[in-house]
Amino acid sequence: MVQSAKPTAPIWCPGCGDFSLLAAVKKAAANLKIPAHDLVLVGGIGCSGSIHNFLEVNGIHALHGRLLAQAVGVKLANPHLTVVAAGGDGDGYAIGMGHFMHAFKKNASILYIVMNNETYGLTKGQPSPTSQIGFEGNIEAPFDAILSALSIPAPNFLARTFSGDPKTMTAVLEEAIRFNHEHRGFAFVEDLSPCVTYNDTYKLWREKVVDVSKLPGYDPTDRKSMFRLYLETTEAGKIPIGVFHRPAEVARAGLEAKLLGENVGPARSEISVESNLAAYQKLLAGVA
Amino acid sequence: MTTPASRTGPISGESGPAGTPPPIELADLSVMIGGQGGDGTLTVSDLLGRYFRKCGLYVYTSRNVLSRIRGGHADASVRASRDPISAVKPEVDVLVAFDNEAVEMGRAELAAHGYVIYDSTGFHVDLPNASGFPFATLVGGPLGQPIFKNTAAYGALSVLLGFDVAKTREVIEERFKRRGGEALEKNLKALEIGRKAALEVTGLAGRFSVAEGDAHDLILTTGNQAVALGFVVGGGRFFAGYPITPATEVMEYLQRYLPSFGGVVRQAEDELAAVNMILGAAYAGARVMTSTSGPGLSLMTEGIGQAGTAEIPIVVADCQRVGPSTGQPTRHEQSDLSHLANLGHGEYPRFVIAPSDPADCFSMTVEALNLAEKWRVPVILLLDQALCQNTATSARFDLGRAHVDRGKRLTAADLPQMTEYKAYRFSDDGISPYAAPGTPGLWAEITGNEHDEWGHVSVNPTNRVRMMKKRMGKMVQARDDLPPCRLFGAPDAKVGLIGYGSTSGPILETQAILAARGVKTRYLQARTVYPVPVHEIDPFLKSVDVAYVIEHNYTGQFARLLRETLPWHHAKLRSILKYDGYTFRTPQIIAGIPEVA
Repeated sequence: MVQSAKPTAPIWCPGCGDFSLLAAVKKAAANLKIPAHDLVLVGGIGCSGSIHNFLEVNGIHALHGRLLAQAVGVKLANPHLTVVAAGGDGDGYAIGMGHFMHAFKKNASILYIVMNNETYGLTKGQPSPTSQIGFEGNIEAPFDAILSALSIPAPNFLARTFSGDPKTMTAVLEEAIRFNHEHRGFAFVEDLSPCVTYNDTYKLWREKVVDVSKLPGYDPTDRKSMFRLYLETTEAGKIPIGVFHRPAEVARAGLEAKLLGENVGPARSEISVESNLAAYQKLLAGVA
Repeated sequence: MTTPASRTGPISGESGPAGTPPPIELADLSVMIGGQGGDGTLTVSDLLGRYFRKCGLYVYTSRNVLSRIRGGHADASVRASRDPISAVKPEVDVLVAFDNEAVEMGRAELAAHGYVIYDSTGFHVDLPNASGFPFATLVGGPLGQPIFKNTAAYGALSVLLGFDVAKTREVIEERFKRRGGEALEKNLKALEIGRKAALEVTGLAGRFSVAEGDAHDLILTTGNQAVALGFVVGGGRFFAGYPITPATEVMEYLQRYLPSFGGVVRQAEDELAAVNMILGAAYAGARVMTSTSGPGLSLMTEGIGQAGTAEIPIVVADCQRVGPSTGQPTRHEQSDLSHLANLGHGEYPRFVIAPSDPADCFSMTVEALNLAEKWRVPVILLLDQALCQNTATSARFDLGRAHVDRGKRLTAADLPQMTEYKAYRFSDDGISPYAAPGTPGLWAEITGNEHDEWGHVSVNPTNRVRMMKKRMGKMVQARDDLPPCRLFGAPDAKVGLIGYGSTSGPILETQAILAARGVKTRYLQARTVYPVPVHEIDPFLKSVDVAYVIEHNYTGQFARLLRETLPWHHAKLRSILKYDGYTFRTPQIIAGIPEVA
């Protein structure tokens, strides 16, 4: 057995919501029997983005806001890998907003987890894109990632979990990763992960969360009805959690499957000149 | 090169009326075509290029267009010669004008024997050696659309230059066959309309003749196409880019080439995404590249820094244009070097290598991929607009010398010899063996944070110093792997010339002109520009009394870099600079050398 990098101890504050998420990712990977060498965790910048250090996986620490672009690059290069990108709400919805919206369009079969705590924790409590009006002087409307994601007509898997409910979280992550394994496309899970130091929302969120699957008319294959259900719930002052979009089965709708078919992908292609000689000769002969 | 006398005669075509003077034979001719965007000047340029290639001539074409699709002045020039060429000819032999601006711009460069053919539909040219034809009107009636006027102009031109009729038609057939029946048929009709009109003008037919050459089996290609081909042959399988002039064609060619090799090309949402997608793919073990120009390079800078410190092998092709900001998107400059040498915040190793012509672009792209993966650094392929977009004849690219060197890449086969896998293991040469994710039994932490050998975040000062030395040392360790300079001219010359990129073309032609005048020069073409190859440039500068660094920017960026790196040669270095958006013409270089001017 060759010794690879060992996980380090989490740097998070005691009670941080990110601990639940870390435990759920571990459990989901174990339940799905994904070997460490086949699992890539792309971390963003911020407290939550350091999660890749705390797991026995291939970890890559992306630039601030760019984790989705890097995660898509990993998946397209080697579609065999399980790719999980994980970061915070500042990383994903502020500096990374451009890539965030495009990730739904692209529909690569990766899982993106945003640990949303409605603040910039690592830089000590500034308002983030999801901060409520009034938080640390915030006067801008909070961004709703699920609502935005529902507006893009792509066959993505969309869910929200709550760090106060780790059991449901594991089940949702497992489903999301299975969705990726079937090359069906992009899975997005927003985890409500309170920052106990700068924005402790545990109590408030525990009161406000509503399991969307328990609501009348719940049908995650029907975007239109989910929009309505979601808006009705939020306008009633509640926070919906659960699966919001679970597209009817579309075989291999994932970007990597559309581009590569059954090819092994750029990272595993045989690239020696000798093994491609005839094709290269043909390519160069076509240049006039 | 020499051509047997028996083969230098004019190409058969219509001869002029009896009693007219013999044709002026052109062995090195330049045709400039100018008009409004949408007039089809580039098509005429393409047709001429194809014709001259059929005649076994070397060809070099350049274009001067605006960053818009319709309207605005655009011109193109086609040069053909019996000898190898790699620059725009300072003189124009024939000018084809679709607007008055073309005449205004071109007449200054028109040779004494030069001739102007213009579309008299909209304007009149008051020059003795000029013939106007209402091309737009001539084709507009029978063909229904004036757009065929460019092909009619090509027809008139074929008469003026004494082209072979069959070959002239073949060129049209080759160019338009893919568009199908009607386009081809109408273009052939337009060709005849142009030819007929020209034949009716006394003294026009056969005024010139074009020498035939023996340069067969060459290809006519651009640097951008060569980079794309080099990328495929070098094992590149993942490309992400964002459209930007003059780099876009690299992506477009790869969209055609890569899928059949199991490769992936993505047009990203911006340059930030493009560089980060290739970072992810390279981390996953693919050979990757992006291509961009100044504004995109600025956006990619943070990502290139991550490649340097996280040791992720990426190749970035920088097709330089006039900057900063939007600058002049379609014009030529070499003004990114200072940025590239100091690229980004913090310090990290990078190799900046600069090909000079399409063949060099092909082989150096292969080399860039090898260097990046072997040394686990970002490699910048430094190109410039003229190199990227001008076409030049070239020998067929040499597959024989292409090879893929994956360096110390680990695979499952290496496992039995290993006890531990540290992705940032310290080593004598600074290279840590790397296992891509998915290699059974191995995993790692890869990060742009400062890290220890395992990839764990580290603020330990001793580790920081060792890691900095490991990474920065690559720029010294890799010295003998980096593309070597090329030296041209007399070893005992006392006047030195230094340049890189497409500027090599006009520099080499300048050198030939000076040699013919009995003036010896020696030219050092730098192919690695950063880190500065002191071991090559120091002996060169020792051997000369003065060296002119010839480059396209205002501040003399390469000269400044040389002065900084080789301060003991400070007094020998002079600059010849041009930053008007156009490439050097040989007289402009000669004028900058007081020893010979």
